[in-house]
Amino acid sequence: MKSRDGMNAKGGRACETIHMTRRSLIRSGVGALLGVPLATRLAAEPPAAPYVPRRPSPGPIRDDRIVLGVSAAFSGPSRALGTELYRGSMAYFNHVNENGGVNGREIVMKLYDDGYQPDPCVANTIRLIQDETVFLLFNYVGTPTVTRALPVLKKFRDSRVYLFFPFTGAEPQREPPYGEFAFNLRASYRQETAGLVNNFLRIGRRRVAVFYQNDAYGRSGWAGVREALAAHGETMAGEATYTRGTQFGASMRDAVEILLARSPDAVICIGAYQACAAFARDAEILGLHIPVANVSFVGSENLLALMRENHDAPDEHTRWLVNSQVVPSYADESLAAVREYRELMERYDPSPPSPDQVDRIVEGEPYDTVPQSFVSLEGFVNAKLITEIIRRMGDDPTRSGIEEAVFQVRNYDLGVGERVRYGPGRRQGLQRVYYTVPEGDRFVPLDDWEERFGLA
Amino acid sequence: MKLGTGKHADALTVRKLFRKTRFGFFSLFGLVVLAISMLSIRTVSRELRDEYIGNSRSIAKNIADSSVDILLNRNLATLQSLIDQFVEIQSIRYIYITSDTGEFLAHTFIPGIPDQILASDPSATEPVERSISGMGDFVEVGSPILSGVAGTVHVGMDLEQLGLKIQRAVGQQLYLLCIILVVGVLASIWLVNLASRPLTDLLTYVVQLARARAGDESPDDAILVRDDEVGDMARLIQYVATGPEDSEARARSGG
Repeated sequence: MKSRDGMNAKGGRACETIHMTRRSLIRSGVGALLGVPLATRLAAEPPAAPYVPRRPSPGPIRDDRIVLGVSAAFSGPSRALGTELYRGSMAYFNHVNENGGVNGREIVMKLYDDGYQPDPCVANTIRLIQDETVFLLFNYVGTPTVTRALPVLKKFRDSRVYLFFPFTGAEPQREPPYGEFAFNLRASYRQETAGLVNNFLRIGRRRVAVFYQNDAYGRSGWAGVREALAAHGETMAGEATYTRGTQFGASMRDAVEILLARSPDAVICIGAYQACAAFARDAEILGLHIPVANVSFVGSENLLALMRENHDAPDEHTRWLVNSQVVPSYADESLAAVREYRELMERYDPSPPSPDQVDRIVEGEPYDTVPQSFVSLEGFVNAKLITEIIRRMGDDPTRSGIEEAVFQVRNYDLGVGERVRYGPGRRQGLQRVYYTVPEGDRFVPLDDWEERFGLA
Repeated sequence: MKLGTGKHADALTVRKLFRKTRFGFFSLFGLVVLAISMLSIRTVSRELRDEYIGNSRSIAKNIADSSVDILLNRNLATLQSLIDQFVEIQSIRYIYITSDTGEFLAHTFIPGIPDQILASDPSATEPVERSISGMGDFVEVGSPILSGVAGTVHVGMDLEQLGLKIQRAVGQQLYLLCIILVVGVLASIWLVNLASRPLTDLLTYVVQLARARAGDESPDDAILVRDDEVGDMARLIQYVATGPEDSEARARSGG
């Protein structure tokens, strides 16, 4: 059974997603009754008051549950990413909690919306650590958000709150001075962009340009492309930028024209699905008929849906797209994790967080869920691995024991075709990058670069 | 001067005598306001501009100092995050960081780096004014990172914003000066009127004296008892007009 409890004590942007036992349902019901008048009053107040920090309080573990703190984009132009990542994780946590939880404790996610904006993410992280006293932070979305939240983790280093499996391949949470506060599962943007560059160069497309979101995320990907090209003695053919939060309806003609003037052989986009779909659309319209690559963060299914929407010849319109992924294709049922993912997504079909689960920065934006996607598959494997780590911590999990538990994961088969390894100096579990191209309304593995994108 | 009736005599005023004085007052006040305004515009403009450039330098230096470790660690995402925070400050329109070889490592331009910037000296640190098509006019300052061996930070401040600030500051001062000018002019009119009233009384008396000689009416002798220069002049005129006996008698009766 799925249910939710009320608003948090501060009436903030959060609520929990809990799979309740009868006992916890009764407890939550009583708590909600007591809390409703206060929560209602607080919810009516403007959220502009500055946050007053206080000392962290101990005790993130209760007998019946473990709380994972999440700050992600549940509203705004990137809401699909936070929502699908959440849905994938929920599919697995539903399954775990329905089967007795982890060592008797159910896994709960405390959700906060940051709208993919850095400042709300920082405020959310402080609240999750200080007020919610979560066990760990989980499933954060985006580089500009995570980059700004990392110093918060350093500030509260004594609390030993780690960030697990952020949905970003950027370097700040992989390198000093903040690398020690995060554990990554997915491959990095450096690996994704290097793979794309290497493949483009291999098929003779040597003039590689970059279209990127002008923030920490875009710069991280830009740096990856630059480094990969430099390894081959090449330099970037050109670059163009856009502002974070740009919608699909915006014109990208200026950016396309800047790149057209540089005559590139391929463009690598480091952005979110709305802006990258707008760029690919305008590139096609303006005659920039070259491969347009996107990295995993883009949200492939959402990008493809936007580009195919209201288009007479959608396959022709999207023929130049190629996306790198950090999880295998969700169609590859030869993999145990994919089979499990498909089964549990079908069984639970988790809904997007409802308004009483998360207080969105922007309310009322429509969102249609995607039955299966690379993003929700990543959320699923994130949930699978964190459950395994918590399970390994035994009956008395503590924050101080988290790092040791992670380092015990040395050759773990997650079911994705690659074994997960962690250890001191190795804080990224998976290394593999996959390449996909559109086929109808989904992305499928790309087998032959030369055949698809070769210059001949 | 043509002598009027009693009604006209009451309306006599001294207009011409202080015309130049009034004009002089107005001119002087106008000149003072104009001089102060020009000085104020010049001073405010220079001070604000210096402060603007000083702030830009401080920000550029701040970023340069903060960038050293980040650059040496090749962490360009953090570097971009750093400059994104600074560009939220009012009036800063762009920031870019170039390497020691002139490569653009991070910037805030959308949709691309303008040609004027691409063509500029990447290691220059002196303030320079730029007019970038489609963006506006800017004053740009630079600050070297690790004495320039690690690169240079460039900060562009919006000159339009600076112009608005100067206009606002000067406007406030001019507003105050205009109030002072109006108050000064009104005060000078009042003071001139105050000074001309005894002369008006004297003129009225003289007219009345002339009419008395024509047998029309007797003059109001109250002015003869004044103990100031106007009283002296009235008595002198009355003496000249009527002779010593009559004059003494009028003076006594007036007293």
